[in-house]
Amino acid sequence: MKNFHWIILGIIFIITLVLEFTVLADYDSHWWNAIPAFYAIFGFVMCYALVYSAKFIAKKIVNRDINYYD
Amino acid sequence: MIEILAIPGVILLIGAALLSFFSEKLRPVLFLVFPLIAAAVIILRPEGYSVTSQLLHYDLVLMQTDALSNLFGIVFALGAFVAGVYAFHMKELGQQICALGYAGGALGVTYAGDLLTLIIFWEIMAVASTWLIWAQRTPATDAAGMRYLIYHILGGGLLFAGILWHSVVTGSIAIETIPMEYTPANVLMLLGIAVNAAVIPLHTWLSDAYPKATLTGTIFMSIFTTKTAVYVLIRMYSGWEMLVFFGAAMAIYGIYYAVICKDMREILSYHIISQVGYMVAAIGVGSELAVNGAAAHAYNNILYKSLMFMAVSAVMYSAGTSKMFHLGGLYKKMPWVLGLYVVGGLSISGIPLFAGFVSKGMVIDAAGYGGYETIMLVLLVASVGTWLSVGLKLPYFTWFDKQDYEGELKPIPVNMYIAMGILAFACIFYGIFPNALYTFLPHETGYEPYTVYHLVEITQIALLTFVGFWLLRKKLAPELTTVLDLDWFYRKAAPATRLVFVEKVDTFYAHVEDGIQASARYLADKFQNPMRWLNPFTDEKNEASSYSPAMEVVMSFILLCFLVFAIIYFL
Repeated sequence: MKNFHWIILGIIFIITLVLEFTVLADYDSHWWNAIPAFYAIFGFVMCYALVYSAKFIAKKIVNRDINYYD
Repeated sequence: MIEILAIPGVILLIGAALLSFFSEKLRPVLFLVFPLIAAAVIILRPEGYSVTSQLLHYDLVLMQTDALSNLFGIVFALGAFVAGVYAFHMKELGQQICALGYAGGALGVTYAGDLLTLIIFWEIMAVASTWLIWAQRTPATDAAGMRYLIYHILGGGLLFAGILWHSVVTGSIAIETIPMEYTPANVLMLLGIAVNAAVIPLHTWLSDAYPKATLTGTIFMSIFTTKTAVYVLIRMYSGWEMLVFFGAAMAIYGIYYAVICKDMREILSYHIISQVGYMVAAIGVGSELAVNGAAAHAYNNILYKSLMFMAVSAVMYSAGTSKMFHLGGLYKKMPWVLGLYVVGGLSISGIPLFAGFVSKGMVIDAAGYGGYETIMLVLLVASVGTWLSVGLKLPYFTWFDKQDYEGELKPIPVNMYIAMGILAFACIFYGIFPNALYTFLPHETGYEPYTVYHLVEITQIALLTFVGFWLLRKKLAPELTTVLDLDWFYRKAAPATRLVFVEKVDTFYAHVEDGIQASARYLADKFQNPMRWLNPFTDEKNEASSYSPAMEVVMSFILLCFLVFAIIYFL
């Protein structure tokens, strides 16, 4: 990932934020629409949660040696 | 008769039977012709067309068309065709016959108008697909194929038992929406279908067998079995609320394993469970939008899932392994395969302008507006996991991560690229022109995928998940591991399972048999000589075949009885 990749992603993110606070300002179909940038926070937090909990499950329960079933 | 031969499923079965008469060079071409004929028949038959027949006193509906069956029929025929293009270089007769027969089974199920026709095609699918695993011819795949077959015989048995029960209770074998009543017949049929839909905890056959099938066999398997089950669920179990929760659980379960697994084909196999979970949940919601969403998602899923399996199988064909531990840095050597895979990855993750976006949103919205907001959030978590596991992790550790791949690579046949190209085109086409798909959905749809809300939603999730992945990517680095699942119970715990389900049962029956024989022996012994209890004063052994004193006694006894009854009667 080069710097300009991050800049492009940042710009796209800012566009979504602008849209959220202008066009979607009054949008309300679910309770979480009241939380600003909910989907961004959701994506980031869930990504972390998934990776760490999957890592935990793998280590503690399901991972075995590659020749386990042979 | 000619009508029966022109049923799409039967056309492919005839094709499978004919293939063996042709030379090695002609077979792959012929393989492509039959799905095209089937597709032509599907397009030519008007909606509401049906072919009926009679078996004993059952009225069979061998083929019945409507919008839903045509949607699945077309995508199955297209899938068989494209998978045939992908397998064009493969010359093995057994695999070709079984793959075509397997597709025939799937099309047969799609157009079946009654449950007996359905179960016949259902079982053809199970048997034909098993060979796609056994054709690898290694001890590991032999065992996996056997487990797969046993699981499907179990599932087919449950379904058939349910069908028989259902036909006795209702007197009907028509395929129709079943009211939500947990009667034994309904539950048995649901369990049978759930096996094929890989509903947890009945999913282990999928994650066990698909990564072990042949390179081209996996493509066929990823298209047919689970999606026919989804189709039958839509037809029969739409609106069964329990499915919402099972579907959401499948979506999450599949995602966890897709994040944990380090083998490309295992990741994609587990991810099928997750994707089918979306469809199952939507079927459970049962609203028009939800059923449309399930059907559209199944349609799109066949396109991008087989595209991803094809790309991964191409890497495996070339590099000889599907373990990401041995791969990495392939982007210079296989840029096209990477590009095609990424189209599939972006589609499945529901990124705008790709096919998944137009159907996944439908399912998630149907859950949200159907009163299942928590389920909607769960499905969104599964979306995060999809993007994380098959959208980012798999391609990153296969094509990037290292500077260059140093192992030997076999050139990839052109036909593989053509097949992947067709599917990639379809993924982008349906992403840009969703109405091309929406017009063929079973219900009228006013659904608009390209709204500002949807775009903001998915873009924010995708961007921040990407950031999360980038920061945590070292944690997901591939290693060589076996990942346990519920199949552990019948694989590793085989001795214990055997003890409980085979040996204990055997011992029980042995005891019962002993008991029956002992009582028979006792009775035979007692009745051998009725003299002994008619005349307790003798213990002589008497032969029934010759004259014996015992006969005298019996005769006298009969005469005595006769006399007594005569006296009673005349008095």
